[in-house]
Amino acid sequence: MSDRLRAFSGQIIAVGVALLLGAIIILLVGESPVRVLMTLLRGAFGDQEKIAGTLLQTTPILICGVAACIGLRGGMFNVGIEGQLFLGGFAAAWVGFSFSLPAGIHMLAALALAVVAGAAWVAIPAFFRARYNTNEVVSTILSNYIAVLLTSYFTIFLFKRPGGWSETPPILATAYLPEIFSFSRLNWGLVIGLLLAVGVALVFRYTSWGYGVTMVGSAPKFAEYGGVNVKRQGFVVLLLSGAVGGLAGGVETLGVHHRFMEGFAPGFGFDGLIAALLANGSPVATIVTALFFGALRSGSLLLEVDTSASREIITVIQALIILSVSAQVLIKRRGDSQAGERRWKF
Amino acid sequence: MIAATLRTTAPILLVALGGSFTTKAGIFNIGLEGQMLAGAFFAVIGSIWTGSAFAGVACGVAAALAFALAFAVLVVTFRANEVVVGLALNILAGGMTISLMKAIFGTRGSIVGHGIVGLPKVQIPGAQALLGSWAPLISGFTPIVYVAFIAVPLLVLFYNRTRLGLYIRVVGEKPEAAEALGISITRVRYTASLLCGLLAGLAGAHLSLGYITMFTENMSSGRGFMAVAILIFSNGDPLKVLAGCLLFGFADAFSLRLQTFGFPSYLVLTVPYVVALTALFALSYRARPKIIKETLASMQKLLSVDRNSSAPVDKNPQ
Repeated sequence: MSDRLRAFSGQIIAVGVALLLGAIIILLVGESPVRVLMTLLRGAFGDQEKIAGTLLQTTPILICGVAACIGLRGGMFNVGIEGQLFLGGFAAAWVGFSFSLPAGIHMLAALALAVVAGAAWVAIPAFFRARYNTNEVVSTILSNYIAVLLTSYFTIFLFKRPGGWSETPPILATAYLPEIFSFSRLNWGLVIGLLLAVGVALVFRYTSWGYGVTMVGSAPKFAEYGGVNVKRQGFVVLLLSGAVGGLAGGVETLGVHHRFMEGFAPGFGFDGLIAALLANGSPVATIVTALFFGALRSGSLLLEVDTSASREIITVIQALIILSVSAQVLIKRRGDSQAGERRWKF
Repeated sequence: MIAATLRTTAPILLVALGGSFTTKAGIFNIGLEGQMLAGAFFAVIGSIWTGSAFAGVACGVAAALAFALAFAVLVVTFRANEVVVGLALNILAGGMTISLMKAIFGTRGSIVGHGIVGLPKVQIPGAQALLGSWAPLISGFTPIVYVAFIAVPLLVLFYNRTRLGLYIRVVGEKPEAAEALGISITRVRYTASLLCGLLAGLAGAHLSLGYITMFTENMSSGRGFMAVAILIFSNGDPLKVLAGCLLFGFADAFSLRLQTFGFPSYLVLTVPYVVALTALFALSYRARPKIIKETLASMQKLLSVDRNSSAPVDKNPQ
C-alpha cells in the first residue's frame, strides 16, 4: 500500500513540475500565469453552469479514457480512439436522423450502432496486430486520418443538410440522450461514462478474463505459459477498446450536438488516452484525470475570451504533465537492464 | 507528374531518413511528426525575423533538435516509454505552435505573408541543354530536395563504412554486445536522436518554406506517422526507405491529380493514408515467416553464446 502511496505522490509532484513548466511557457507567450490560472478556475468552476460545462467536457474524455484503459491493460496502445469516436458519432447520427423508432429504443439503437462502428473501425488493425504483430500504434494513428476524412465525406457529399453548414440533418428527438439539468446540455452520457468506468474496473478486478488481460499486458510470455490465448485476447481487447471509443462518439452526438458535424469533437480521443495514461490504466482513476482535463478544456473557453493566451495552451500543459510523469516514475526503475523490453507502464 | 512526385517525396524522405538513425539505434520514434511540425513553424519564424530563408531553415532545425533532445533525455536517460513520450511531444508541438502563432501574430489557422522568405529554386546549369523538356526532372527544386535525395547514398555509406554507423547498428541490434564492447549505449542513442532531429527539422522547413511559403495548423498532417510506417517495414535501411517514400510521394501527387479530375476531395485526401496502411499490413503479413525464422536464429545464437562464453559481434544478416 505504501508503494501505491509513493507512486501517487510521485504523480502529484510530476503534475506540479509540469504546471511550473507550463507557467514558464505562459510567461513566454506574454501572459501572467496567475491570471491564466484564475481564469481557468473561473471558467471551469465559476458557477453551476460552468461546473455543468466542465462535466459536459469530462464525459467524452472519460469514455475515451476507459476505452484507452481497456487497451492499455492488455498491453495495447489504441491511439485510434479519435477515429473510432468520429465513426461512432456519425453512425449514431445516421440512425438518429434516418429512422423513426419509439423513444428510448431509438436512442439505444443509435448507441448500439455507434459501438459496432467503433469496433468495426478498429477490427482490421486489431486483426493484423493479433495475427501478424503489425504495430498497432502506427496503424491506429493512420486510420484516424482516414476516419475523419471519411466521415466528412459522408456528411458533406451524402447527407448534407440543405442550406446548412457541413453537418447532417438533426436527429429526431426520440434519439436524444436526455439532459440532467434544465440549465445545461449536460446529459446522461456522464452517468454512462461513470458506470462504464466502474464496471470495467470491476471486470478487471473480479473476473478471470480481466485477470488474463492484465497478465497479458504486464507479462505476455508468462501469460502464454499460463494458458492464455494471447493473440485472440489481444484482438478482443482492441475490439472492446474500439467499441467504447465508438460509444464515446455516439454519446457526444446524441447528447450534445444532436447531429453530426465536421470536426465535432476535436481531440477528445487523444485527451482520453492521456487521461488513461496519467491514471496508469486504472478506469476509476481515469474518472479523476478526465475531470481534471475536462476542467482544463472548459476553463480554456473563458481563457480565449478573457486573456490573450490561446486555448491550445492547455494542450501544452497536458503534454508537459505526461512528459514529466513518464520521466519521474522511471527514476525509481533505474535498476533494470537497458536492453530490456520497455512496457507501457510508467 | 514525376517532378511532382519527387517534390512531394522530399519532406517525407527526409523525415524518414532521420528516423532511420533512431530505428537503427533501436528506438521506436513516434515523435517525428512533432519534430517536423516544430521545424516547419520555427523555419517560418526565423525567416521572418532574419529575412533570410537559410537562417529560417537553421531556426527550424534548431527547434527540431530541441524536441529531439527532449525525446532523448526522457527515453534514453529516464527510460520513459517511447510511445508515450513521442505522442506527448507531438501533442506539445501541436499546442505550442498554435499558442505561439496566436501570441506572435494574433491569428489562428495560418501564417501567410508577414515577409516570409521562401527557399530559392536551384537551376542546374546545362540541364536544359542536356535533357531538353525532361529538365524539370533534375533542375528547379529547392536545395532541400537535393539534400534529401543525396542523403540516401550517403546514409548507405554511413551505415556500412563508418564507425559511428556501425555503433548505431550494434546498439540497435545487439545492445548486450555493445555493452560488452564498451560502446556507450547512451551516447550512441543520443547521437542518433539528434541526427534524426536534424533531418526532421529540414523536412519541416521544406514544408513551410519549400514550395508554399506559409505555416498552417498541424501542417505536417500525418507525414511523420507515415514515415514511421515506412521505417517499420524498411527496418531503417536507406534504400528501402527511399522506395517506400517514393510510393507515398507518388500517392500524394496522384491524389492531387485526382482532385483536379473532380473526385471528392475528402476521399482523395485519404489515398496516402490508405496506401500507408495497406503497405504496413501487407508487409507485416509477408514478414511473418521471417519473424519466426529470426526468433529461431536468435535462440540458436543465444545457446551457442552460452557455450562459447565469448560473444563475437557478427555482421548482421541483412
